Order: sequence, then structure tokens, then C-alpha cells
Amino acid sequence: MTTIEIGRMLRAGTSGFVVGCRVSQLNLPSFGALVSVPLEDGYQVYGLIHDIHIDDDGLVRQLVTADGVDAAVIADNRLNRNVPVEMSVLTVGYQQDGRIYHLLPPRPPLSLDMIYLCSAEDIRRFTADGRFGYLRHILRAKDLPVGEILAAHVQQAQAVHASAGNPDWAVSATKELIVLLRDDYPSLMSVLSALTDVFPS
Amino acid sequence: MALDFLQIREQVRQLGENAPLREQRLQELRQQTCMLLESNAHRIEELRLKVQDVVRSHDPSLRCALPVSEALDDRFPQPDLPPQTTVLAADGSQIAPDRHAEVEYGLTNVGVIRMVYGSDAPPETTAFTRLFYDEDLYTSTGMMSDALLALRRDLNERTMLARQAAQATPPVITFTDGLMEIYASKELVGEESSEFQKSLAEYLDVLFQMQSLGVITAGYVDKPGTNLVVRLLEVAITPEAEFSEIKKRHPLRGVYDIDLYYPLLGAGERSPVFAVQSPSSKVYTGPLSLHFFYLNVGRPGRAWLARVEIPAWVAENPRMLDDLHAVLIHQCRVMGSRPYPYLLHRAHETALVSLQEKEQITAMIALELRRRGVKVGEQSSKQAAKELSSRARYEG
Repeated sequence: MTTIEIGRMLRAGTSGFVVGCRVSQLNLPSFGALVSVPLEDGYQVYGLIHDIHIDDDGLVRQLVTADGVDAAVIADNRLNRNVPVEMSVLTVGYQQDGRIYHLLPPRPPLSLDMIYLCSAEDIRRFTADGRFGYLRHILRAKDLPVGEILAAHVQQAQAVHASAGNPDWAVSATKELIVLLRDDYPSLMSVLSALTDVFPS
Repeated sequence: MALDFLQIREQVRQLGENAPLREQRLQELRQQTCMLLESNAHRIEELRLKVQDVVRSHDPSLRCALPVSEALDDRFPQPDLPPQTTVLAADGSQIAPDRHAEVEYGLTNVGVIRMVYGSDAPPETTAFTRLFYDEDLYTSTGMMSDALLALRRDLNERTMLARQAAQATPPVITFTDGLMEIYASKELVGEESSEFQKSLAEYLDVLFQMQSLGVITAGYVDKPGTNLVVRLLEVAITPEAEFSEIKKRHPLRGVYDIDLYYPLLGAGERSPVFAVQSPSSKVYTGPLSLHFFYLNVGRPGRAWLARVEIPAWVAENPRMLDDLHAVLIHQCRVMGSRPYPYLLHRAHETALVSLQEKEQITAMIALELRRRGVKVGEQSSKQAAKELSSRARYEG
């Protein structure tokens, strides 16, 4: 069961969505993490965080020109001011009637829906289902740092599978990536290079 | 076409043509005024008597600075920050009733922020919102004026500050943006004028409460455009025989007080404290009588002056004056290259009602009325036309 709230939906489309959270909530989500948006009747949408950004405003730009910024002023800006952190999420699948699909969801989440960080069990269930179909959503996102997202995701998922007694999950995922990218040598090299940084051996 | 730029260009050219001559004349006048400040700097008692004489015998409406005990060209360095102090700042905004809108209502919103120096706790913000609807909107002379709404907002600001100051750990410093005295607009007539008198009495009560609590309170005026000290110097150079003409005598017109103190005050320094001589001196009396000083809140090489209004109980207490001076300089330095008290800016942010929020409130009221079966009016055609979107770009 997913219980760690990380923010609420700002805007969404079928292939991705943007989540807003307070700066004080930012210690939990990380780049490449799997998140879910539970909707009605057991329907939930899954996605991977591919960007976390913090917007500035006029006051913040002015405060950085001061010689030093007091701890109280920093706390005020982080806790009281309306400067949300935005996380961009790539949709990678959904669950309906208890079954996981590595397809784009029938409809996106709605404004202000709550977004949760997936638990280890959720990650294991989602990534073990089928034959890595969700990877094609990542590979299709040409404007994103695909190699880096895959490296972060594979690292997090491998840790979950290894502790559940499946130490070969990352090898299987890498083999599937090689198959999917067999006709795109530059992308394959970029992805393998990123994965080598995570798993040097 | 919205503006005829050809017409404007000609007028701008004429403006530029006269500017160097005007600037040269003003520069000479400024130098002359600075010399007058220096030569009159220590004539404190003499100047006080002269002003009092003018007010008593010739011009009761005279508005100028009145020296207290410090020389006119004295300057005081930035004191150390007090170790533990609660600082409160307040600001307000309002939505005026709009007969073109679908529902008529007014609203005041006051934002208060509290910060404790010497504590790691983050500042706390609070907003106090009051909706004016139905009978609240009317006085015997008709719909509530913008001036009356602004008066209620000002009074709310001060009342909320006093309420929070009473609950805060002393010592407490409070400040608001602008003058300390509440403004009596000429628009306030009839019943609204008596409402001003009532609000003024309430405000004086609030100030007395703050005094009894030992609260340091101030009004902060950014980029001040007053000539109170300059007017004092005009009185100083007027021969006694010409006192009867004092209302018409303005030999230093065009020079402002900041022209005197920009060259004098170093970064973090304050000017001497003056009392305010004005018709309102009859209202703000004793411990509440209004005083002010100029403060260089800028950095070395980039001065920036503010005028700080304070009541007599603060002006006469050196420790209170020092604490206020130090905290205001620190607050302005937080803002970096454009000095202004951080907490005042945050109070403004807290109080501000955006256009989008105004539309949301209007929709909330309309929805509530419809839910209860009450007929809701329509937006005027004039307003609807103004809100028509501009021509959209074809992107097909």
C-alpha cells in the first residue's frame, strides 16, 4: 500500500503530469522514483519522476543579492511563501481491477489529486509485471535525459528486487533495453553508459 | 489607436529642453539649503520658539519639523541589534464595492507577520479578512466610499498589530508602511466624516494600549518626498516682520529633506529626531505626539533614505530608539540591493488580494446566493466589454 504523500496534481495529460509540493515535502521524492495517483474504484496511474524544479520569483531574486540570508528568512520562504516545487512525471502505466497495464492510462489524473511515492512492494509488483513494457514510454521521450532516468529507475528497482530474492532483475531489464534499442545504436550506447555508472561490474 | 506618440514626443522634447536649466537652479538651491542647515544646526531652542510664534500668531496650519534636542546636522551610527525582540509588521489591502460587478461587496484584508529575533523559529503570518455586504456597504450618504474602506483597513491594521503585540513576548517592535497618523481624506463627508472621528478615537486608544505595553511602534516611509526640515529652514530665514506672509513664502521650494540628508548620513546612520508641527499636533498629543527621523538604509556608496515616524514615547526613550534603528537597518539589509524592511514586504504579500482572488470571491458569493434561491445581478455591459479577450492569434 502506498502511503507517503509527496504532493498534489497541478496539470496533467495522458502521457505525463506535473505535481506541486511544498519545499518542506521535498526530502522524499527523488529523480527516477516511481509514483502513483490512486483514483476511483482501484484505478491508479503510475509514473516516473523525470524532473524536479524550483521556481524563483522577484523576492527570491532580490534576497540573493544580500550579503547573507538569515536562517529565519530562509525558513519563512520555504514554509510560508507560495513557491511550490514542481515535479514532472512521465506516465508509464496504470492499474485497473487489480491488473497492471504498461500502457498509457484511459484518462489522466485530475487537478489536486494526491500523488504518493510507491512503496517497495508497489515498485516490485509494477516492474515485475509482464515483460518490461513500460520501458518503451521512457525510450519514446526523446526530449528527456533517457539514459539518466533509466539508470536512476533501474538502480531503485534493482534494490527492491534484490531484497525480495531476485538479484538478476537489472540484468533482465538491461537485456530488454538492448533488444528495444537494437536499431538505435547512439541511444543504446548512451543508455548502457549510464547503466554502467550505476552497475560498474 | 490608444496613444498619439507624435504628440507625446513633442512634449517630451520640450521637457528635456528645460530640464538642464531647472536642474542647475535646483542644485544651487540645494547647496544654499545645506548651508542653512549647517548654520542653523545648533539654534534648537531659538527655532522652536520661532515656529511656536508663527503657529500661534500667523499660521496655525504650518507643517514643518520641530527640533527636539539633537542638532539639525547630527548623525547617529547603527546600534547593535537587541538580543531577543519580537518584530511585528502589518499591511492591508481592500476590494472596493463595484457597481459594475454582478454582486456588490467590499473587503478588507490585513496581513500580519511576526518574527522573533534571537530565535530559530520561522516567522508566522496571519491574515484577517472582513467582508462588507448588504447594509454594511451603506452610510446615510449612500454607498461606502473608497476613502472610508481605506480608513477601515488602516484601523484594522493597527488594531491587529496591537492585539498581537499584547500576546507577544516583550520587547516588541511593530511597524506599518507609511505615515503613523491615519489619513483623513477630503472625500469623507457627512456620516463618513463622523466615522473618521470615531476611527481616530479608536486609533488613539490603540496607540495608548501600545504605549502602556511598552511597544516600540513606527511608520516606515520609503523614498520620502517631504520637506518638513526645509520648511523649518524657511521659517528660520524669515524675518519676524514678514511672519504674516509665511504661508506664501517658499524660497526653498523644490528642495526636499532627503537633499539635505543624502550627503550627511553614512550607511546605517540616522538623522536627529524631530517633532512634527502640523494641524494634527492637536490630536496626537503627549506621549502620542508624532516625531520622525531619516535613516540611511542603503550600503556604502549607495545611500537610500527612509523617513521613520514614531510617537513621543519612543522618541524620548534612547533604548527604544536604538532598538528600532538597529532592527530597521537589519530588516532592510535582508532585502539586498533594494533596501526595504523584509517583514513589511512579507506583510504586503500576505495582505494582497489578487485580481484572480477577487474573481474567486465574487464567484463564491454569487454561488452562495444562487444556492439559496436569491437572484444574482449581472455584470454591466461596460465591464463585460472591457473584459473581452484581445484578438487571438491563429495557430491552426
